[in-house]
Amino acid sequence: MNSKKPTVMVVEDEHLLLKAIERKLKLNNLNVIACESGAEAWENLDKNQKPPDAIWLDYYLGDTNGIEFMQKLRNNEKWTDIPVLVVSNSANPDKVSKMMALGAKNYLLKADYRLDRLVLEIQSLINNTKTLKKDGQ
Amino acid sequence: MSLYPDNELRSMLNIFNLEKKLAIREAMIESVGDGLVATDRDGKILLMNSAAEKMLLQNAKEAIGKNYIETVPAADKEGRIIPGEKRPLHAVLREGKSFTNHSANYYVRKNGSKFPAAITTSPIKYQNSIIGAIITFRDVTHEKEVDRMKTEFISLASHQLRTPLSAISWLVELLLNGDAGKLNKQQADLLGDIYQSNKRMIQLVGDLLNISRMETGRIIIDPKPTHLGQLLEEVLKELKPKINSKRQKLVISYHPDLSKINIDPNLIRAVYLNLLSNAIKFTPENGEITVIISKKGSNIISQISDTGWGIPKSEQRKIFQKFYRGSNVIKKVFEGTGLGLYLVKSIIDASKGKIWFKSQKDKGTTFWFSLPISGILPKKGDVTLSS
Repeated sequence: MNSKKPTVMVVEDEHLLLKAIERKLKLNNLNVIACESGAEAWENLDKNQKPPDAIWLDYYLGDTNGIEFMQKLRNNEKWTDIPVLVVSNSANPDKVSKMMALGAKNYLLKADYRLDRLVLEIQSLINNTKTLKKDGQ
Repeated sequence: MSLYPDNELRSMLNIFNLEKKLAIREAMIESVGDGLVATDRDGKILLMNSAAEKMLLQNAKEAIGKNYIETVPAADKEGRIIPGEKRPLHAVLREGKSFTNHSANYYVRKNGSKFPAAITTSPIKYQNSIIGAIITFRDVTHEKEVDRMKTEFISLASHQLRTPLSAISWLVELLLNGDAGKLNKQQADLLGDIYQSNKRMIQLVGDLLNISRMETGRIIIDPKPTHLGQLLEEVLKELKPKINSKRQKLVISYHPDLSKINIDPNLIRAVYLNLLSNAIKFTPENGEITVIISKKGSNIISQISDTGWGIPKSEQRKIFQKFYRGSNVIKKVFEGTGLGLYLVKSIIDASKGKIWFKSQKDKGTTFWFSLPISGILPKKGDVTLSS
């Protein structure tokens, strides 16, 4: 993995979607940690010293859901600052407001967005977080 | 030669006939599956058939003579008991007009349990005065359950469909972008067609979901003071590229001081979006689209006109039906699901407004919809459009 490129963790339980997202992100010069379940994501987060620069999160995962995932993420100091973009098939107001309250940066409906638009979204999340960190120093 | 004089015989025969008629009627009342109750003009029970006894868990003999409204309480959706003066029987006995509730109320059985009932209350009239009422009803638990299952299935199926549709969309996008190698023109064209068809399918699934949300009443109605002119401008900003690509002329007119009205901007936004998208879609290049918002009496009227292909006269009665698409445009315009106007009508109905139109083939179409200046009340729910 090229350490100069930013890294995005993608958590998506649909294999074909995950494959498409992974391909597109790599083509856009990003490192990708592709996870097909919540468990796989935790394993990777635990294992890696450096947290990913952003997380692309589906809401319904085979073994967990977005809310549980976000709660766990925000409860560990090491991971609290990772920006999260939720990209799901279902976005009722209750889910969206809960996820945003837990600190998700944005909640988008899969069917409404082109893949290249979502890549721009995640890139701008990474850049904004970098700028914030710089300003904070 | 009869033992009885003629007139006496006739009256005896009449009595027999009358008794026979009564027996027939009694059998009819007893054999129908619907609950049937008759009351006098004070609302006291005169008769209760077996179906009514069974459904209400009442005993007809005990119930007769008692006040119907007190003996058979009715409740609303939230389980609140409906006060006597708001029960249809009250109005029917006073005004003499029949009343049918379509959106079921609930009847409370003797043991306190409830069931949804479709109820018709009609007056009994004799020599121009109201002498009582007939109440017929049936238990619609099963119908409601089937309806709920149908809608739930549509909602579930639509959600399930979205995943493979997103996969097709994203994978084709990769190919079209040349991310898996350069395409020749023919390949790109064919993939473009796949992409467009898939987009239409996504739209269809989205529209079906929205309709099932409106039909089940699960939709949240969240009124906010809204300036319709500003809402319109937002929608137009989104549609500008389409209007420009067809070189259509756009004329907008509304008073800048138009008062804000309390409506759900999310829902009304969908109305403008659908009506305007239709106007753009069904108007040829260089055509004209006009939008006028004005105040009239206690309403604000929005008018959306185009110089498009119009709706054939013979089809005009069908335009608010699901999946209707004009026969004159079906070969010219490939986009569209035939669900937009049905959704628009449902939203306007839920917003206490009215919608109407005028159309002439090859001349154009005008839609008007009104919204009350007094606004609408909020409604709880768990979904919004396009979520």
